[in-house]
Amino acid sequence: MSAAEITDERVARGTSGPILGMVLFVASEAMFFATFFGAYFTIREASPTWPPKGIPHLEIGIATVLTIILVSSSFVLQQGVRAIRKGHARRFQAWLAATLALGASFLALQLYDYSQLGFGLKDGIFGTLFYVMTSLHMAHVFGGVVFLGLVFTQARTGQLSPSRHESLEAGAIYWHFVDVVWVGLYTVFYLLTPR
Amino acid sequence: MAVTEAPVRELAPEPRGRLLDWLTTTDHKKIGILYLVNSFSFFAVGGIFALLMRTELARPGQQLIGAHGYNELFTIHGTLMIFLVIFPILAGLGNYFVPLQIGALDMAFPRINALSFWLLPVGGLTILSGFVAKGGAAACGWTCYAPLNEQLGTGVDLWLAGLILVGTASILGAINFIVTILRMRAPGMTMMRVPVFVWSILATSLLVILAAPVLTAGLIMLFADRRLGTSFFDPAHGGVALLWQNVFWFFGHPEVYMLILGAWGVVTEILSVFSGKPIFSYRGIVLSFLMITALSFTVWAHHMFATGAVELPFFSVTTELISIPTGVLFFVWLGTLWKGKLRFEVPMLFALGFIALFLIGGIDGVWAASPAMDFAIHDTYWVVAHLHYVLFGGTLFGIMAGMYYWFPKMSGRMLSRKLGQWHFWLQFIGFNVTFFPMHILGLRGMPRRIADYAPDRGWSFLNLVATVGAFLIAISLLIFLANVITTLRKPRTAPPDPWQANTLEWATSSPPPPHNFDVLPPIHSNRPVYDARLAEARLTDRGSG
Amino acid sequence: MGSSPLPVTRTRIARLAAASALLLLTGCAKQGISPQGQEVHRLYVIIMILAAPVFLGVEAALIWCIFRYRRRDDQPAPQIVGGGRSLGVFFAIPAVIVAVLFPFGEATLMNIEQPETPQVQIKVEGFQWEWTFLYLNEGLFVAGKTLVRPAVMVLPVDEPVQIQLVSRDVIHSFFVPDLLFKRDAIPGRTTAFTFTPTQLGTFHGQCAEFCGLWHSRMTFDVKVVAPLDYQAWIKQQRKKAQGITCEPHGTTLSLIAHNISWNQFCLAVPANAPFTVDITNQDVGIQHNFSIYDSFFEKKKYFTSPRITGPDSETLNATPLPPGHYYFQCDVHGPAMSGAFIVKK
Repeated sequence: MSAAEITDERVARGTSGPILGMVLFVASEAMFFATFFGAYFTIREASPTWPPKGIPHLEIGIATVLTIILVSSSFVLQQGVRAIRKGHARRFQAWLAATLALGASFLALQLYDYSQLGFGLKDGIFGTLFYVMTSLHMAHVFGGVVFLGLVFTQARTGQLSPSRHESLEAGAIYWHFVDVVWVGLYTVFYLLTPR
Repeated sequence: MAVTEAPVRELAPEPRGRLLDWLTTTDHKKIGILYLVNSFSFFAVGGIFALLMRTELARPGQQLIGAHGYNELFTIHGTLMIFLVIFPILAGLGNYFVPLQIGALDMAFPRINALSFWLLPVGGLTILSGFVAKGGAAACGWTCYAPLNEQLGTGVDLWLAGLILVGTASILGAINFIVTILRMRAPGMTMMRVPVFVWSILATSLLVILAAPVLTAGLIMLFADRRLGTSFFDPAHGGVALLWQNVFWFFGHPEVYMLILGAWGVVTEILSVFSGKPIFSYRGIVLSFLMITALSFTVWAHHMFATGAVELPFFSVTTELISIPTGVLFFVWLGTLWKGKLRFEVPMLFALGFIALFLIGGIDGVWAASPAMDFAIHDTYWVVAHLHYVLFGGTLFGIMAGMYYWFPKMSGRMLSRKLGQWHFWLQFIGFNVTFFPMHILGLRGMPRRIADYAPDRGWSFLNLVATVGAFLIAISLLIFLANVITTLRKPRTAPPDPWQANTLEWATSSPPPPHNFDVLPPIHSNRPVYDARLAEARLTDRGSG
Repeated sequence: MGSSPLPVTRTRIARLAAASALLLLTGCAKQGISPQGQEVHRLYVIIMILAAPVFLGVEAALIWCIFRYRRRDDQPAPQIVGGGRSLGVFFAIPAVIVAVLFPFGEATLMNIEQPETPQVQIKVEGFQWEWTFLYLNEGLFVAGKTLVRPAVMVLPVDEPVQIQLVSRDVIHSFFVPDLLFKRDAIPGRTTAFTFTPTQLGTFHGQCAEFCGLWHSRMTFDVKVVAPLDYQAWIKQQRKKAQGITCEPHGTTLSLIAHNISWNQFCLAVPANAPFTVDITNQDVGIQHNFSIYDSFFEKKKYFTSPRITGPDSETLNATPLPPGHYYFQCDVHGPAMSGAFIVKK
């Protein structure tokens, strides 16, 4: 077998290296967040009341808007992935730019939300769990925005093609994961917390 | 004879300065060696700490080190040995040999591979820097339980920062290994033809991906409690002290399998080579590795039986279940030896020593698996005996087997057999003299992590014996060091396959060229080099007949 | 004609060897000074009976292979591999051993956790680095002093004792090797267990969960005495506690906290007059406070101060109290740092 044939055989085989790598990375991040969710349920179980005394009930309004922003950003991004697979470069770039905008607005709105809440990080276990978990998530959203921003630069400089756009596929997997984590946080802090 | 031509990588245009070359290399072989050098350096530090502790404990009364100093020593000893020595040595051997054993050019992500390595000395030095910080190094045990971990000085912050770096390195490394093993095997190398060492690294990497992030999360929670005013573990503010233990051991138990799987892989291979027989049940080994990997996530609370806060029967069952695939390993090893033609080269001595000692470590764990018995021996020297029989008698003996086995491949020189035999016997005897008496000390009620003990406990004599053993171990390791240093001065005369081995790394020169292989033998089984040697012999027979 | 001596057969020697080996190995574990401890000792022996053949068998097989299969010629070894059936056997054997082991372990656990109606109830508090034993029925407590003297838990023989275990700060562990038992003392969570000491004597106890600087010195003793001696001891302890008395000297009290001890065990103030307490905390980095209760049962709180971290001092202003015999303590360390507070007309 010639060197070229061997390389071709490897490329043709299933998921590419970088994408498999991202899947594994996302798996590790899932375990990371799972630990915090585990801590949440453990602490909640040990607490006589929930939310603990002195914590104002969380307003669901802004949080719901945040959820809509992030969930739609996943749909938007996936549209972009479909677009580039079909070879529609300009459409793809538009979808990707929209995703970035939605991501940035999520971050801005969440920071605004923080300023409106009536409690802080040091206000007992609820403050602990809420702020640590949501801010770690925000850091991941920020990372995702940076990553997809780099992908956008690659797109603008013509480095992506309908058959080779691994960085986008990998970025999309990461972005959808970050979205799912948010849905989990929204469920746990807003839906499952009695009013 | 059909051969497969391995793709040839372009060599770097100009040679760089030697130091710069080592600092910037992305070659998996050089990185593997960096891992080994780094780890054995930390091994020396951790080992000296052990000698200091054993010297202190040899007689009752505080002679050498104060209580706080002793507490720092056992904390950093444990932390270094686990995170900077044992795991990275296995990762380093994996780095060097996984690509070779699967017929690949390098790891899937060479630059991330380099990053994974360099995070280690930085992390290790961060942990060590605690000694010059206010309040000293972390002094809470390598498990650093809450709420004690919220009390102590800056050393704990440095400890957890260092561990976050090391943990990140291992996660990146694990991703690298899994993608390499799944995507970069040479044609013909199906998963069921991959060497058992590669399976062991794959299993280890799966454990790292799923368990290491749990520790990272816990360390972040601890940092937040200590420095940001949160209360994850603080019962006075609604936190749960036991949450730390649950998080830590959910990571911690898979961690101990991360520390042994690689050794199982190496030893299984070495037993096969030096018996001249195939592995008695390749399927059995692979199945056991995978079962143990899965089961390791279900046993964690057996470290917490004495808290009175965990489901005793469930965790007792899962803990006892995991001994079943472990038992299978022993049967396969014995089956491999059975009817073989055993050659007692130094790698084989260490592999046989591994079986003898890991057996004891595995069996003495069974007492602890039963909660009622565990109430008596938990947190005593019985556990210290158990953990050293599996990590030292087990993994370290396995690592030494691997070092003697692979040293010629990595350096092009054969280690001295005479010195290797001295090393083995002194280490074997010294190890048992040190750690076997600790079973009895545990049964006599000597708790762990004590800087001193009273003379009327009946613990004095056995402690003295253990200390003598520790110095025997130290001498044996100095012999190993001498062997390595004197051997590296010799010229490179090792042949490609000095041991008549089975796997692909022996199909290239010692050491391999930068591109690993000029030519790959055909791969039709899990012993391609054995097959090629057999085919060659048959051709020669036919030619001469 | 006299009878011939017993024939020393090989089986007899083997039996003797096995018995002495077993005795040697079982002798390593403590017998246990309670029925619960003896149950655990029995489990130890059972596990040894299961483990010893495995150990001896595998080591013997290993040694046998080493001698029998040493390479003696250049012939290749037979390339034998095991099939599915061998693998099945390999899985089955440890599975059987585990299946036998588990019920014994469970049975022992059931037996040692059997509830008994306790005659003696002791709340055990651990804190860095001492133990305090509060005898709940008898209304007295015993404390130790780190590095000076261990606390001694006096118990009547053959009476079930219930321990209610808690920590005041970090996780400790109440470990008595002769009971073959330990239980962790956890802050924020009280655990209870019962045992019956059936042997007279003084038995060593020690903290078994690393808890900081003087973990190695956090020891205590369990002294098991005859029931009459126990009653005598209780009477003696009560007399000592009641005997602590002092006279008021004005309305300003001065108290120093040093090495987790107060410098006075008796404070007195005149009745129905406000008083001040000057507290000096000399323990660097350690918090103390000052509170007044009815007794160590803390059923009624009369006064409490905020916690101060040493080195520091504070002057506290308290409202008048009616005459009576009260109890003061540092809430961080409990009865170990307490004394009598007398209010006299």
